[in-house]
Amino acid sequence: MPDTALLALTWRITRRKIVSSPLALAAGLAFPVFVVWIGLADSYGTAARFFFFLLPHVFLIAGQDAVRTDIDTGALENVLFLGGRFRGFLAAKGIVLAAAAAGYAAALFGAFAVWGAVAGGFEAGFFPRFGLSVLAGAYYLALAGVLSHWLKSGSNVVALLLAQSAALALLVSSATAKPGLLDYAAGGPFPGLGPRLLFGALVAVLPNVVVSGRLPLYAAEVLAGLGLAAFVQGRLVRRFEIRK
Amino acid sequence: MIEVHRLSKRFGRVEALRDVSFKTRKGTITAMLGENGAGKTTTLKLVLGFLRPDGGSVAVAPGTMGYVPDRPVYFPWLDGWTILGLGRTKPRGNGRDFGASVLASARSLLFDASLLRRRPAAYSAGNAKKFAYLQNIVLGPDLLVVDEPFSALDPPSIKCVRDLLCGLRDSGRTILLSSHMLAEMERIADGFVVLRRGQTIANAGLREWRLMRSARTGPDLESVFLRLAGQ
Repeated sequence: MPDTALLALTWRITRRKIVSSPLALAAGLAFPVFVVWIGLADSYGTAARFFFFLLPHVFLIAGQDAVRTDIDTGALENVLFLGGRFRGFLAAKGIVLAAAAAGYAAALFGAFAVWGAVAGGFEAGFFPRFGLSVLAGAYYLALAGVLSHWLKSGSNVVALLLAQSAALALLVSSATAKPGLLDYAAGGPFPGLGPRLLFGALVAVLPNVVVSGRLPLYAAEVLAGLGLAAFVQGRLVRRFEIRK
Repeated sequence: MIEVHRLSKRFGRVEALRDVSFKTRKGTITAMLGENGAGKTTTLKLVLGFLRPDGGSVAVAPGTMGYVPDRPVYFPWLDGWTILGLGRTKPRGNGRDFGASVLASARSLLFDASLLRRRPAAYSAGNAKKFAYLQNIVLGPDLLVVDEPFSALDPPSIKCVRDLLCGLRDSGRTILLSSHMLAEMERIADGFVVLRRGQTIANAGLREWRLMRSARTGPDLESVFLRLAGQ
């Protein structure tokens, strides 16, 4: 049974941290501004593509400093976290961050839907795409949470962004006149196991590619990855001791 | 109130504690003494639940537990009032009552209440320590564990903390201290636990301690401690 008092405590601490983080605020505000700019410069449909593709990164930014920085400051050795409550705090932090990011994403989606309803162009198919964006975002949070057991000061997020950059650079450098991975992903089935696995590896570092809704198998991979990352994080938290 | 039975803990190859056992009684102050590296802080962390024992057990009577670390550290983005408010699981009375009781407690600790609007992470070491006491007073613990109760404090503040600890003991609270300040411990403690190289070498109440002191013709706690420590 979840400790609601601990969830409330975690929320109050985490909310203050997010509000006092200029990077988190700037990233959170820059995203809707960018989407509106695309919509005004081009069309609502183009803005929708960017909105759903980039929405998971809102979760990723929220996942910076999830664990290691809190541990290294020594602030967990406080009367608020006695009797193993620091473990509950670290576990609840993932839930609180996911809820906060999902709430923010839902608010943005609501505003985006109103814009679409007024300007025309909103489609019922946006709902499952929003769900897939939230799934990819939750995967990012869980993965960033696992990495933040070792990487501190936002380097967990930087590591993921670097992995994405490397994957995209590989894709671009391997592009030829023949159909490539993205063409297969966009247009039809993959020719054989090798390209399927390669695309699966890309999805592991860039789950945003599943938000189109045309790749249910890879969406299932993201869901499985979310479960695995949450399990690993739970194990790490349960075994954790404050030794400093 | 606290019963520690055959507690052991290893950090890799280092055996930090081996079969440590002791008891503390309700409404008393127990001082844990020992040289550097004797295992005092490890024992406290096991009692507080920050570490898990490799063997043995820790039993603590039900109730609220408090803790003042040697060098308190706080989340750098929270101010003093916010941190104090985090300890209020169920608001008692209105906010004005809470504020008034915090201000009264701050005065009793010679803590400048205007600092509460600032972040404790930026306080001096002495003020951070006094703030840790203030945080614990707000929680009203039945058992208070303090690591080096007087470190970083100036003489007037030491007197305030001494009065606070004795006042808590007199109101029925149990206190476990770890300290190197033997003269202060002799002044306020009702019992002593002495650790050496991760083992308990003495666990005595004040009466037994006085007997031990006279039998060994030690003029003070320091002499007895040094004899026990083999020096």
